[in-house]
Amino acid sequence: MALIELKDVSKLYGFGDATNVALDEVTLTIEKGECVAVMGPSGCGKSTLMNVIGLLDHPSHGDYYLNGRRSARLGSSQRAKLRRDKIGFIFQSFNLLGRLTAIDNVALPLLYKGKSPLARHKIARAMLERVGLHDRTYYYPHQLSGGQTQCVAIARALVNDPEIIIADEPTGNLDTESSRLVMELLAEIHKSGNTVLFVTHNPELTRYATRVMYMQDGMIKHDEQKPLGVVGRYAHTVIYGEPESHEDDDIAGVSALMKARERNEPAEKPARKTTKRRKTTKKRGGTK
Amino acid sequence: MNISNGNLRLAYESIRTTKFRSTLTMLGIIIGVVAVILVVCIGEGVKRQIGQQVVRYGDNVVVVRPLSEHRGILGGDSVPVGAAAPLTLKDIETVRRLPAVAAAVPLSSVSGSIKGDRQVNTPLVIATTPEFATFIKPQLKYGGFFEASQDANQVVLGSKIVSDLYNDSMPLGQTLSYRGQEFLVAGVFKNFNAPPLSIESNFNNAVFIPYDTVRNLTGVEPSIYEVLVRAKPGTNMPAFARSVQATLVQSHGGAEDVAVSAAGKTGSGTDQTLRLLTLLTMAAAVIAFVVGGVGIMNMMFVTVTERIHEIGIRKAIGATNRQILKQFIAEAFVISCLGAVYGVVAAFAGIGLLRLYTSLQPIVVWPIVIIAPLVAIASGVLFGSIPAIKAARKDPIQALRHE
Ligand SMILES: Nc1ncnc2c1ncn2[C@@H]1O[C@H](COP(=O)(O)OP(=O)(O)OP(=O)(O)O)[C@@H](O)[C@H]1O
Ligand SMILES: [Mg+2]
Repeated sequence: MALIELKDVSKLYGFGDATNVALDEVTLTIEKGECVAVMGPSGCGKSTLMNVIGLLDHPSHGDYYLNGRRSARLGSSQRAKLRRDKIGFIFQSFNLLGRLTAIDNVALPLLYKGKSPLARHKIARAMLERVGLHDRTYYYPHQLSGGQTQCVAIARALVNDPEIIIADEPTGNLDTESSRLVMELLAEIHKSGNTVLFVTHNPELTRYATRVMYMQDGMIKHDEQKPLGVVGRYAHTVIYGEPESHEDDDIAGVSALMKARERNEPAEKPARKTTKRRKTTKKRGGTK
Repeated sequence: MNISNGNLRLAYESIRTTKFRSTLTMLGIIIGVVAVILVVCIGEGVKRQIGQQVVRYGDNVVVVRPLSEHRGILGGDSVPVGAAAPLTLKDIETVRRLPAVAAAVPLSSVSGSIKGDRQVNTPLVIATTPEFATFIKPQLKYGGFFEASQDANQVVLGSKIVSDLYNDSMPLGQTLSYRGQEFLVAGVFKNFNAPPLSIESNFNNAVFIPYDTVRNLTGVEPSIYEVLVRAKPGTNMPAFARSVQATLVQSHGGAEDVAVSAAGKTGSGTDQTLRLLTLLTMAAAVIAFVVGGVGIMNMMFVTVTERIHEIGIRKAIGATNRQILKQFIAEAFVISCLGAVYGVVAAFAGIGLLRLYTSLQPIVVWPIVIIAPLVAIASGVLFGSIPAIKAARKDPIQALRHE
């Protein structure tokens, strides 16, 4: 039984002509222990995918099985408890509570689990130590650097010892040095047996992954298994191309959405043919 | 799941860090609690004072008052001073002949200015007979009450009017002139517990003068606004009151023009006043609590809107709807409790100030001092939970996107 299993999962926003397809019939399996990097241009649905997997969002269509349990059957409090115990979420914008100290932020999931104050303090302290911030225990988020703040957020994500760590652009707001620090931490978590999913725009960071998924227009275009320490094969070239659109299609009035539907079947396997045609203009910097 | 201790602490933190907003909310609760406690305690004080006025004469005294067409604003049977009254000295003689009567005295209010060291233009001058002294409990501070008819030119003063008339605080033996005649000050009363609402019998500002002297001075019988009748010890008072009433009605040829009320019992006028007072108190209490509750609800709504992103974060890391709800209710609870405590303190301060600087004598009514803050806390939590429910139902991802 796979840890994460998506079957034809779609996420639509809006109605009628204004319908916006954030996820387009994504089918995907992630096994325990994988470290998956998700890449793709802005707006291709990476965050939406992470939110669905992290039980923050509901798919519009399709089934999502977490540990074999169908997510649609879970009530809101069951989802909350799974988020608390099985999933650790790390955000680009850190999302710490500004009015709480570092240790209180880290201890929050323990509070919701019902741990005693003493246990909360002990575990949260140990977690802060693990991310190297034991000397910042009683700092408030606004007194921490971006990298330190993200480390606190990682400590918070780890505090309930979740099976899955989901990080949506964890290094998006960080410089190269802090990025490395954060990624080293995630790599360490992966090494200790956890499943890690992270979104990044930085091809270099795919070195930490065992698998790289390239998304476009709500679909997974390439899905590549690779050894650790190597940059993904398409990371530099594929993703930042302009959306495919041929002059012929435009004239014929064929929308990108319809084309996307047509190509849906081979999307399971990496469709190399399409990648050659794509322009390779970089829209967002590789090192951020 | 026992997380309430943590919730309370977080709630307290949250309130501490948004002090200004929390104080505004608390103000609603504080005002509610203060208003309720003060109104009830003042009301109780006034009741007590009115009660004291009535029992001042003692349990075995009945008060006879003329019934008049003219009714006071409260529908009571207060009689305007000087109105044609059906009570006369003859009635007093009639009453005195009843076997159970120990004593009966008239009270009559007469007009005219008085001059001591200074002039008082509209004093309260009460003409009565020497026996009056046996009806009232407060003793004389100085001197004695005028006694028999040979003391025709003596007066006794209430404690407050002394300073209006004389430079000396002990005017015994001094004289005053009234209607062209000299009178000797024979005595000064100790302070009567004067109820603020009673104008007719504020004895502290009164000058007591022998009834016969006034009759001789003016040539007419001063109209009597009240007759005090004391029964002999061991008399059944309700029956006594009925017999006095019957005797007077009979001697008036069957006209029901007098009312006899037992002094130990409040008269109908004061009854109505007290009922109104209680109603007023209750209305004020309800309004105060609603205002306080709406204040809390407002602030909670603002809080929830301001903190949607925070709610999103909490839900993302595993808070259930119920836990979010608990947190916000805990906040409402802590705010209400703080407000209630401050309110009680402020109410006590208010009671102290009123006692010091006004003639109101509020009495601390312990049940209300306990009930008012409890009700305030309950209404705060009740109103606070409406926005809390709204907060708890938020979709995590929408809440997270909210800035
Ligand atoms: N609440 C929403 N309402 C309407 N459309 C939405 C909403 N949320 C996301 N979308 C759309 O869904 C698509 C996918 O959004 P998503 O946030 O998943 O992109 P992303 O790949 O994470 O982009 P980025 O790299 O910029 O973070 C976008 O086109 C976006 O406009
Ligand atoms: Mg995103």
